Amino acid sequence: MVPLREAFLAAAIVAVATIASLLLRDTLAATNLAMIYLGGVVAVAMRCSRRVSVTVSFVSVAAFDFFCVPPYLTFAVSDYQYVFTFAMMLLVALVISAQTARLREHAGQAAVRQARTEALYRLSSKLAAETRVFEAARAAATLAEEVFGARVVMFLPEDGQLSFRRRTSDHLPVPPSEEAIAQWVFDHGHKAGLRTDTLPGATALYLPLRGARETFGVLAVLPDVVSNGENRIFAPEQQHLLEVFASQTALAIERTMSQRAEEETRVHMQTEQMRSSLLSAMSHDLRTPLASITGAASTLRSQGDRLPAETKQELLESISDEAVRLSRLVGNLLDMTRFESGGVELRRDLYPLEEIVGTVLQRMEPQLEGRVVSTDLAGNLPPEALPIMVFVDDVLLGQVLWNLIENAAKYTPPGSPLDLVAFEDNAAVIIELRDRGPGVPPGDEERIFEKFYRGKSEKVRGAGLGLPICRAIVEAHRGTIRALAREGGGTIFRISLPSESKTASA
Amino acid sequence: MKPLLLLIEDDPQIRRFLRAALDAEGYRLQESITAEDGLAQAASRQPDLILLDLGLPDRDGLEVIQRVREWGKIPILVLSARGQEKDKIAALDLGADDYVAKPFAIGELLARVRAALRRASTRGDAAGSVVRFGPVEVDLEKRVVRVDAQEVHLTPNEYKLLQVLIQHTGKVLTQRQLLNEVWGPQHTEQAQYLRVYIAQLRRKLERNPARPKYLQTEPGVGYRLVPED
Repeated sequence: MVPLREAFLAAAIVAVATIASLLLRDTLAATNLAMIYLGGVVAVAMRCSRRVSVTVSFVSVAAFDFFCVPPYLTFAVSDYQYVFTFAMMLLVALVISAQTARLREHAGQAAVRQARTEALYRLSSKLAAETRVFEAARAAATLAEEVFGARVVMFLPEDGQLSFRRRTSDHLPVPPSEEAIAQWVFDHGHKAGLRTDTLPGATALYLPLRGARETFGVLAVLPDVVSNGENRIFAPEQQHLLEVFASQTALAIERTMSQRAEEETRVHMQTEQMRSSLLSAMSHDLRTPLASITGAASTLRSQGDRLPAETKQELLESISDEAVRLSRLVGNLLDMTRFESGGVELRRDLYPLEEIVGTVLQRMEPQLEGRVVSTDLAGNLPPEALPIMVFVDDVLLGQVLWNLIENAAKYTPPGSPLDLVAFEDNAAVIIELRDRGPGVPPGDEERIFEKFYRGKSEKVRGAGLGLPICRAIVEAHRGTIRALAREGGGTIFRISLPSESKTASA
Repeated sequence: MKPLLLLIEDDPQIRRFLRAALDAEGYRLQESITAEDGLAQAASRQPDLILLDLGLPDRDGLEVIQRVREWGKIPILVLSARGQEKDKIAALDLGADDYVAKPFAIGELLARVRAALRRASTRGDAAGSVVRFGPVEVDLEKRVVRVDAQEVHLTPNEYKLLQVLIQHTGKVLTQRQLLNEVWGPQHTEQAQYLRVYIAQLRRKLERNPARPKYLQTEPGVGYRLVPED
């Protein structure tokens, strides 16, 4: 079948060549008119199929004979030299037809290859961006519809069984009865359905999404009956591209799934590791004060009447001190647990920073045992200006400051200065606690915010939860907290609260 | 006669040490382990003060406060768990006088009990027209405030806020209570105004506004005026 369009084009070109020859018949020699027809053959060969250009070659020779070779308007020839002209003309026309057609085929193949490369490139970049199996399948199906100009749906398994319910399109374009075909394709890993050896009467072609180890789903293609009857998806190179599409998608799904499995394993291992370090920290930190309390209390009970008053007092004090320590530890643990389970609700409002600081320092007085924390909260503000305001949960920010000051008091020599400084810096409020202690070991500036990390200091005891809680709280406020080495020795803990912390509700 | 305290608390260990400590201070003590019994005892014995645990087995402790306040002004001191600011605020807004967070040292509890009893006994007495705390002197009649004998100018709202705090000296006032008394019931949600006014008052009255001695913050709850340390 020659497309009607090509036939018309060929006829028109021959007609134009004939008219031109008739007009020039008196000025040019007949052999030169043959060149005009050859030009027509070249034009046809460039646009039309080989069959058409060969036909045009013969028609051109005939027309040349009929219109341009005397006697005109007959196929009779007066001068037998023209027979040679006809033969050469036909030969040249046929060679041109053949060569041009081959060139066109090459160009066509190159275009197909390029389209195919481009389609696969787009597929792989789409798939690389997806981290979820279903989304990857959906992206691939959408792209396939565009590339193949056909309806494409992918079906994924539910509990090991392929299901038409888990599909990438909103409505089902194939009859529900064909679920069995899809299931067969899924089970056997072979294509089936329309134009295959298996169940060719189906409405769609079903291809397995086969990865390296297993089949992840089924791709169904429905030829688009509306646009043209002979759908190009059944051309061999399109079929091949379709199969490549299916296998690329399957590999992407496989990769996604193995990444997820890996991630799960990693999280699981981390959790296990955390649990065991939590257990060892807990068993030590909870048991030590409990042991002191039990020991001191049982001593008092069984030998109380024989102990000097002074010893009794000491034992009582140790019971009381250890109980306080235990209570703080349990409090920290509960806070951390609440933070990790997402059970903490920020109750943010605008507060003068000095109010939060003042409260913390006042409540810590007994613990600081006379140690002075000097404060400079006016920052770079003029003395008459309003105090620095922060948009925070006052109780939680208070807890951050409490933990930082408590740590500083534990890890720095008694009597060394502790300064709490605050100032506004561009879009943030900066709060710093500066000490002159031994400093954080270089390289540990981040690790100290990890759970259960403890400083090297032997005399200091704690579960290593204070700083992680600080970080959790500050980050819940969208701020940052860092430890910096201080010039001249010591550490600066710097909290930076973004300006929304200051003005959001003002 | 020694004051009678009613302790409503279900935990036997806590009752045990409170009994010992309160007894040693010479208070008479009545104990209840349920809200229901506590309410009955409060009505029949008319104690001078109620020590109330919020986590009772039969009913919410907040309900006890509400029911007691329906008929009387007996001071109520709440024993609450740490970190439950919401409960503290609810208890205070319902009319509780004060709270101590568990675990607490007995000294702190005894101080709060004494303060609450003292407030109750002086209630209704016309407080002297001049109130002093630290370097601050407030003449309630002439509405004049002096710090170190120097007159300090307060805006009308600042003065009103100070006056309310003085009226309830030693008692925690929730933000809602303060806003209601100073600015009126329509403004009880605008806590940031209150904080700015408190900050201003501290600037005018405290030696170091960042370490207030008298105008103290109860974090997450409210403020109280502590006359002397």
